[in-house]
Amino acid sequence: MQRWTTILFLTGLSIVLFAIITPLVLGQSPMLVGKLINASAVNDTGAANLVTAVVLAYRGLDTLGELAILFTAATAIGIILGTTDKTQTTSSPTAGFIVATAAKVLFPLLLVFALYIILHGHLTPGGGFQGGAVLAAAFFLLTLADSGNNIKHKVTQVIEALAGTAFIVLGLVSFALQGVFLQPWLDKGELGSLFSAGSLPLLYLALGLKVGAELANLLSSLANVEK
Amino acid sequence: MQLIGDIFFLSGTIFLFLGALGLIRMPDVYNRIQAGTKAVTLGSILTLMGIFFYFPQWWGHLCLIILFLLFTNPVSSSALARAFYRNGISVWTKTK
Repeated sequence: MQRWTTILFLTGLSIVLFAIITPLVLGQSPMLVGKLINASAVNDTGAANLVTAVVLAYRGLDTLGELAILFTAATAIGIILGTTDKTQTTSSPTAGFIVATAAKVLFPLLLVFALYIILHGHLTPGGGFQGGAVLAAAFFLLTLADSGNNIKHKVTQVIEALAGTAFIVLGLVSFALQGVFLQPWLDKGELGSLFSAGSLPLLYLALGLKVGAELANLLSSLANVEK
Repeated sequence: MQLIGDIFFLSGTIFLFLGALGLIRMPDVYNRIQAGTKAVTLGSILTLMGIFFYFPQWWGHLCLIILFLLFTNPVSSSALARAFYRNGISVWTKTK
């Protein structure tokens, strides 16, 4: 029965998708916004990665809203699960010798990779959200490998608060300098070099640290409940 | 040169396909881990070696990726197998 409903659902979905896709001409965008951004984003922001130009420059306020959503979700989970620092049950099994050793080797690699994704967000695919997720995974791997080694909630909360404040302060400085909130500022620099695109890498750094601290916090509260 | 690469691609893809098939067809979770680890690791490595014959200047990157795969894939499967074993999932013992 369930198999037939799945097949029915997939058939319906493919018909709907087909009906949406057929009138579109391949290789031509029906949206004018895309063409406009393709033409002017490099001059406007100096970011080689146009996705970053859209996420942080054209729609910076939207990204601030996404940060607020993530913050709300993390706070809600924190309230529901509680900060279970007191209930340290030592009965949880260890992850074993292999995972513990591998985590020690992988942790620095993951850290470097996360910072690479965050700092090159304006040059290559990736950025604050993706790098932050890798950052959180790096710290969570340590928690998984050694169940006594917990993420310090106080430290992550301070990092999260400072990074969130930095994001808004960067926006406010732009307001003071140019009269528009979250407008890119600072020198655009040479296209494609590490120090380019003005304030966008700084925004992504704040974003990455905030997302990383938030997700690490969230994962470690979940892991504490699992015990 | 490119023909050798194509042969590597083909054999790698066959191994990847067999790994995916094993994930569906194998009778219990430990057997599925075998399929998912061994076949998929070999398939990915063969595909990456195929890339080497197309772009020989990428050998450094490819070596690093292969080493990373050889290191992480067994670790993750051993963690999975250990978690299943500790949670008391029994081994399939039927034989034909």
